[in-house]
Amino acid sequence: MGNCLKTSSSSDDISLLRGNDGVNSSYNETQQALNHQVEQYQRVFHPTSTSTPSIIRQQEHLTENEDHVKLAKRIGLMQHLPFGTYDGSSKKARECVICMAEFCVDETVRYLPCMHIYHVHCIDDWLMRSLTCPSCLEPVDAALLTSYETT
Amino acid sequence: MANMAVSRIKREFKEVMRSEEIVQCSIKIELVNDSWTELRGEIAGPPDTPYEGGKFILEIKVPETYPFNPPKVRFITRIWHPNISSVTGAICLDILKDNWAAAMTLRTVLLSLQALLAAAEPDDPQDAVVAYQFKDKYDLFLLTAKHWTNAYAGGPHTFPDCDSKIQRLKDMGIDEHDARAVLSKENWNLEKATECLFS
Repeated sequence: MGNCLKTSSSSDDISLLRGNDGVNSSYNETQQALNHQVEQYQRVFHPTSTSTPSIIRQQEHLTENEDHVKLAKRIGLMQHLPFGTYDGSSKKARECVICMAEFCVDETVRYLPCMHIYHVHCIDDWLMRSLTCPSCLEPVDAALLTSYETT
Repeated sequence: MANMAVSRIKREFKEVMRSEEIVQCSIKIELVNDSWTELRGEIAGPPDTPYEGGKFILEIKVPETYPFNPPKVRFITRIWHPNISSVTGAICLDILKDNWAAAMTLRTVLLSLQALLAAAEPDDPQDAVVAYQFKDKYDLFLLTAKHWTNAYAGGPHTFPDCDSKIQRLKDMGIDEHDARAVLSKENWNLEKATECLFS
């Protein structure tokens, strides 16, 4: 289990990460939304960034920065997970195990590296708490990190 | 409560009601209030364990952030087990903490708790006294766990020797449960228990 995700054929992974053609147009939109999100966090985390920092404040900023980087990285990772619309062809997954509602045709779903699918809003809420698949507990970041850094 | 939490709990409730385990009377669930935030679970003690024949009641509280955070579960029925507090009923189980996953349900939680009764993990204890007895004096642990199952969960095994020691302490004005708890802790040594109570 799990080894199937660590293949060296990175070109395949990247094409998967970029999503399919139908997705590319909305990809830019989400990227913009992501930038906006990070900006918002920046405002919250650095309300006094214009004042001259003392040494103590510098240290505070360091940890704040770390949190900020972590958060941004996580959002960045999530945005690289492919998504698409549910076409009803998937025989295995008929319901989203997070909200337990059945998928409707044309609903936006996100694919994890383990190929489990969820409603985008359901899985994104979950990934903000834990970077693992809610069904099989496969870590989401391990499979993605290598590809993410090269893109 | 958040919509997703309520709609999920409603579905899960039905899942438990339809499950095979409910037919076998091994798990049970009922509502405590109309808002679906609190439920009462019941699990049967698994066979070939000191809990066999007992029925254990659980308090289940569903947080607003469910299923992104686990339900808060504790034993209402008193139980003698290394991973469950003999005082508060608090449970030490990874899936109810860091290893919670949104795909888990009320049914899987109840079944996991039943599995915990069958396979204690004394190296990761919730109740240090019970865990020490489990590792150091396993025979006494079995006796104590069976006795507690009989006293609180309707288990079949009675131990006249334990009962007479508890009666001795009751005659000294000690509450029955306090007497049982101290004797259990002191490996049923009446002298030590008395010392512990009156010193």
